[in-house]
Amino acid sequence: MIEELRDVADWVWLVPALPLLAALTTGARVLLGRAAGDAGERLTARLTELAALTALLLLVLIDLAVIWHGWPGQKIVGTWFAAAHWQGRISFLLDALSLPVATLTALIGWLVVRFSATYLHRESGFQRYFIVLAMFLGGIQAVLLSGNGLLLFLGWEMCGIASFLLIAHAWQRPVATGNALFAFVTNRAGDAGLLFSLGLAAYWVGSFEWPALLAASLPLVDLRVLVLGFAVAALAKSAQLPFTPWIARALEGPTPSSAIFYGSVMVHAGVFLLLRLEPLLFHLPDVLAGLLLIGTLTAVYAWLCGLVQTDVKSALIYATVFQVSLMLVAIGLGWTTLATIHLCLHAAWRSWQFLLAPSWLQLTRDRPAPPPAWLVGRQAIYTAALQRLWLDKLGVTLLAGPTTAIARDVRALEESFIDRAIGEPGKGRSIDPERPLVCADGLPGRLLAALSLLLQRIENRLLLRGRGGAAERMLREAGRWLQTLEALLEQPRYLMMAVMATFVVIL
Amino acid sequence: MLKLLVFMPVLGACLLAVFPGRGQQSLWRLALGFALASLLLTVLLAWSFDPLGEAVQMYESRAWNARLGSYFALGIDGISLAMVMLTAFLSLVAVLVSRNMPGSGRLYFALLFLLQSAMFGVFTARDWSLFYVFWEATLIPLFFMIDRLGGENRQRAALNFFLYTLGGSVFMLVALLFLYDAAPGHSFAMNDMAEGGRALPQNMQLLIFAGLFIGFAVKMPIVPLHGWLPLAHVEAPSPVSILLSGVLLKMGAYGLLRAAETLPAAFVAVQGWLAMLALLSLLYGALLAWRQQDLKSMVAYSSISHMGVVLLGIASLNLNGVTGAVLQMVAHGLAAALLFLVVGLLYRRTHSRDLADYDGLLGRAPRFAFFIAFGLLAAIGLPASAGFIAELHVLVGAYQRWGFWVVALGIAMLVGAAYGLRVIGHLHRPAAPTVQLHDMTRTETTAAALLAGAIVALGVWPMPLLDLVGSSTARIAALFAGG
Repeated sequence: MIEELRDVADWVWLVPALPLLAALTTGARVLLGRAAGDAGERLTARLTELAALTALLLLVLIDLAVIWHGWPGQKIVGTWFAAAHWQGRISFLLDALSLPVATLTALIGWLVVRFSATYLHRESGFQRYFIVLAMFLGGIQAVLLSGNGLLLFLGWEMCGIASFLLIAHAWQRPVATGNALFAFVTNRAGDAGLLFSLGLAAYWVGSFEWPALLAASLPLVDLRVLVLGFAVAALAKSAQLPFTPWIARALEGPTPSSAIFYGSVMVHAGVFLLLRLEPLLFHLPDVLAGLLLIGTLTAVYAWLCGLVQTDVKSALIYATVFQVSLMLVAIGLGWTTLATIHLCLHAAWRSWQFLLAPSWLQLTRDRPAPPPAWLVGRQAIYTAALQRLWLDKLGVTLLAGPTTAIARDVRALEESFIDRAIGEPGKGRSIDPERPLVCADGLPGRLLAALSLLLQRIENRLLLRGRGGAAERMLREAGRWLQTLEALLEQPRYLMMAVMATFVVIL
Repeated sequence: MLKLLVFMPVLGACLLAVFPGRGQQSLWRLALGFALASLLLTVLLAWSFDPLGEAVQMYESRAWNARLGSYFALGIDGISLAMVMLTAFLSLVAVLVSRNMPGSGRLYFALLFLLQSAMFGVFTARDWSLFYVFWEATLIPLFFMIDRLGGENRQRAALNFFLYTLGGSVFMLVALLFLYDAAPGHSFAMNDMAEGGRALPQNMQLLIFAGLFIGFAVKMPIVPLHGWLPLAHVEAPSPVSILLSGVLLKMGAYGLLRAAETLPAAFVAVQGWLAMLALLSLLYGALLAWRQQDLKSMVAYSSISHMGVVLLGIASLNLNGVTGAVLQMVAHGLAAALLFLVVGLLYRRTHSRDLADYDGLLGRAPRFAFFIAFGLLAAIGLPASAGFIAELHVLVGAYQRWGFWVVALGIAMLVGAAYGLRVIGHLHRPAAPTVQLHDMTRTETTAAALLAGAIVALGVWPMPLLDLVGSSTARIAALFAGG
């Protein structure tokens, strides 16, 4: 038994692959129209649950194998793509950071899947929810277990898209889609940082693999730029300042999804990324100090806002942000082990709380505690807390407003000049009354029409086609001559002459 | 084995001509059997062919007319094997779609197999005289097929086609005789002629090349010798169009490749002119295709444009270009066959080739609409279709030689996309419900799906084809590597 566990880590790729497979299967069933009704719901839930459970068991087995056989470390499963010396590998890094977090995540994932099966029973979008949830489970495991930045990025994006889709789960409501878009766009800023850093890693280090990346000896300036990109990604994902507002809007989705995304798992992905980069961070005390500062500010912000929240999910989310910012503080101070433990404990506790949120009213019959007296007395701070320090509005005025204005101008330019020059589909005029469907618009279209008209003339005139082409006329002329000649030759006198002429030539 | 390949279709044609059954279905089954047997035989050939082995394999030669030095010599290299497989495959498709051929199936199938035999002969001949005989032999069945089974203007189209190609091949014959006379060996065998030809002075080579080129250019066709093509394609019945555009046009390009082995100095001398003609063909075909509202003539003109890609590849005379040319021959064979198949079947049902009559086809006959859209996208060379691989090779090869002149190729492709997307747009347009249209039958869908599958398979995984033709094209490219 113990011996057989030795190679179980080779199967780690199944952990992200199985939920993805479940998502694909469900998707295919929905497309083929085989997932309707209660029976379809049950099968979908079972499939996803099975995938989540298998992933969990596999991770537990790997954990057991660690006890007897030691840490597996970097596991390379295959090469995804390769160009010159750049290799996009599918590899997994199984160490003291990734395995505990991944196992806990798999456990939470499994429980949430079970919870959701009853929570969403007979709701519209049941299948959709499970497809996205399974995709998220695959994505987050790819983030946690990944042995290189590329796979992490893949999972990171899958989580982002899954989050977007679940916030907009009730897409009929404009608020939900608006919030989904807000969360998605904010997260893109973080993704930009991640992509930037990965590009730099490819350029400077020449590899995406964590061991190579973490052991890279770069000049401190370069290293700082590299880590800053990752840090931006982490801050955005973990909803730290200045990215915090998105997470309050992200609670629009179904409660179990809020639990796993913002309560427990995805919100910690940023912290996890920083923990993963721990060896690099320790070279850069200034970055650590920055993280400490941001963590502290976010903690104050979340604490203040949390005091005045009136609904349970918002209160919980500010508590979550507060705890996450404490993890950031711990990382800033260099206490990474503490941060890891904090992460695990907080994830477990918070997911339970979030799953409980819908039944909170029944559990506690009391009114929620009022804001503390000192806050009520200070009007300015109270308003600020209620308005969440105007971060939302600030973002709109500073970023969204100017962008909209520029977009409007560009659109005007496009409509009045560029569209007319290039031509628009559906607006073309037909080039020939005989061919009403052949239309052209814009400068290239007109050029094309003129050129093709010219060529068509050449084609008609020069070549052996109908409509009195010149070549055909010439051939017909020649044919008439030949016919006349033949008719003449058929008459005996000319035939004789021809024969005699031949004789003369031969002689 | 090659002899069997070449003459089995003749046997098939004879059998079909005297087959006692009266029903068309039994005739069709017999024909299908022979087409499948040919395909099987080519697969066997491919199996026993070693891409890394010697240049010409399965060579068999027998003196034909010893006094003149002509041989009955057959053999294949990678290029001809690819062409032979294409021929067998498209013949199968042509037989598949002619299940409900109106009129005399007996004559039609017999001619079809005679044509197949001649095409196999062209691609496997290793003797120029034999090549010429088979080349001419393709004309006769084609003439009758267009003349007897074509559309309204079939007589004119058939005569036009016959005169054009015959005129071209007369030049070819004269050039071959010149070559025969000039080469010291006095033999028609391709290898002997190639050795003799390479030793000739450049002027002589150019003269001979001019004759050969006229013959091949008519067939390919290259602007301005393309006059027969639009008419013949439009008038020919759909299975004949499939073979005509799928295989017959490739004979010209194939001959040109063979000529490149024989007259390298001439090729180097006219390389730039060839490229210019190729770019002219590309743009000319694309622009005229864009102007057509008649679907079949649109596809016919786009054929001219795509054969321009082949010529451009050959003219670049480097490995990528020549490989791309051969790939494009295969890719265009498949894509054009698919388009002619679908358009021909539509015509047979509606007796209209006008795009205006096919608005909203997606709702009425989704399978037709799907395959038209697929064929058009494949013809443009969308990634994951065989055309993409081919065009990319040609693009790389031509860029190495001429740099930014290849922009013309891009423009032609852009125009190609314009008319392709226009058709696709019309297929999707909502239209008033008009006459009911029978969608493709199962046999027809099978034929189209075979082609579509082959296009995607070669587009996603082109390695087998690249391996097959790679060493042969490398041999041709090596002839020009010094220059």
